Amino acid sequence: MSRAEILTDQILEKIKGQNVRVKREDILKRMKLLIEEFKVPESEAVRTITNYLVREYGVSREELIDKTSPLVKISEITKPNQWVSLKAKVVQLWDSNSSNVSQVGLIGDETGIIKFVIWSKAEMPEVEEGKSYLFQNVVTDSFQGRMQVNVNRTSRIVEIDEDIHLPPREIDVVGAIISFQQNSGLIKRCNECGRVLVKGACQIHGKVDGYDDLRVKAVLDDGESVYEIILNEENISSLTGINLEKALEIAKENLDRNAVLAELKNKLMGRYFRVKGLRGGRYLLVKEIEHYKPSIEEFEEILEVLA
Amino acid sequence: MIRKREVAKRVFAQELISSTYQIEDENQIKYVLTPTGERVNRIFSVAVLLDKEEIGADTNFWRLRLADPTGTFFATVGRFQPEALDVIGEINVPELVALVGKTRVFEGTSRKLVSIRPEIISPVDLAVRDYWVLETARRTLERIDGMEKREGEDVELAWRVYNPDLNEYREMVRKAVVTVREDVEVMEKFEKEEEIDFTGFEFEEEEIDLTDLLEE
Repeated sequence: MSRAEILTDQILEKIKGQNVRVKREDILKRMKLLIEEFKVPESEAVRTITNYLVREYGVSREELIDKTSPLVKISEITKPNQWVSLKAKVVQLWDSNSSNVSQVGLIGDETGIIKFVIWSKAEMPEVEEGKSYLFQNVVTDSFQGRMQVNVNRTSRIVEIDEDIHLPPREIDVVGAIISFQQNSGLIKRCNECGRVLVKGACQIHGKVDGYDDLRVKAVLDDGESVYEIILNEENISSLTGINLEKALEIAKENLDRNAVLAELKNKLMGRYFRVKGLRGGRYLLVKEIEHYKPSIEEFEEILEVLA
Repeated sequence: MIRKREVAKRVFAQELISSTYQIEDENQIKYVLTPTGERVNRIFSVAVLLDKEEIGADTNFWRLRLADPTGTFFATVGRFQPEALDVIGEINVPELVALVGKTRVFEGTSRKLVSIRPEIISPVDLAVRDYWVLETARRTLERIDGMEKREGEDVELAWRVYNPDLNEYREMVRKAVVTVREDVEVMEKFEKEEEIDFTGFEFEEEEIDLTDLLEE
């Protein structure tokens, strides 16, 4: 049997219980056209035909979706565009900055943590931090080189009475700051929402006066992994002696807010730090950060290994 | 799709300048394969900038000579590395710097040469060098270990390309660690002597009665 026939029969199998009369040849013709002639990916072909059946024959969408997309662990998610189900706990919810997104954040199970997005169109009930859910029929996706799962209209989210244990997220790492990212230094934030202003405007609230703040987004590298870290005013002040007040002075003296960034780079770039914090998605959330200086014992240890 | 950022590898100069073999992966990312089987696209080094030489007057294209405790290597900075270029324009040599850059193998006149295109150059103090040597020593020993156990494709390739004398690299690590340990020892002693005990002092506040002055 050809792939087109197999897929056609799978669709027919699903709607067997419903009182609809659909001709097999009709579906098969469409399926062949899509996958054999137009070379559309199979999943797209199935989706297109599903939509057609819903529209033309009034087939209920719930019947057509595969209720048993496989239950996987987060560490097994490595490829985009896979339909999966997950049992996971909501670790963290972030502010969504798009009206298309209902909720965004991190979910985790015993094997790892992954970003999730619930589209507004999905019309799902809201999830809560700290609660565990069964996420059925969600789609894996790759965004900026990282995996995430998307919750869409055909997904289901069911709260489960099960406490899912997450892997330890505490990390203690010594690495060097080897890059500063955009929007570091003396920045302005929106008075309404606290977002960083870009060219004097907030993404959401447009042109606002904003208030000053000090922060650094940096890359910490220990030769094995890279971590993106965010330092707040308190961290910066303890490491460099520059607090917000001092930063404003530097900016005033030089008539240039970028002078603060240059000064912070002078003091932080290429230096080693010990960071304790929580791993969350692409960021390492800093709890403690300090300059790192090796002790004589560390050198002795290596020499012993070599002896 | 944005690629994952390449980790900055730690490799001593002696090993780096012995590297002549370039690999390109399926995403067209270029790596330099080192004799202990490390795959290096980006490197982090702490070294003394010995010399900076502008190639031609006012070209803003600089050739840098740098040294760590194991050897000397070269880097070039031009207008495509604006951040490093800003620093190089103002820096006085010699100066201890941290450097992050991309590695490349070039065909020299007589042999292949590895050179670095620095993304970042930042003057640092000796404590940074101390830990860099320690960290690089650890990573190098791990790689030597991997070479002995013949773990992985890159290791096999390194054996085929370089057939390295691993003891030579062990000796390199030992020398680097010994040199720096002496410095650290001296510094620790120095810092202890600097700690002056203030607890024996008592500060007396002198009270001056100003009421007379005010009344006048």
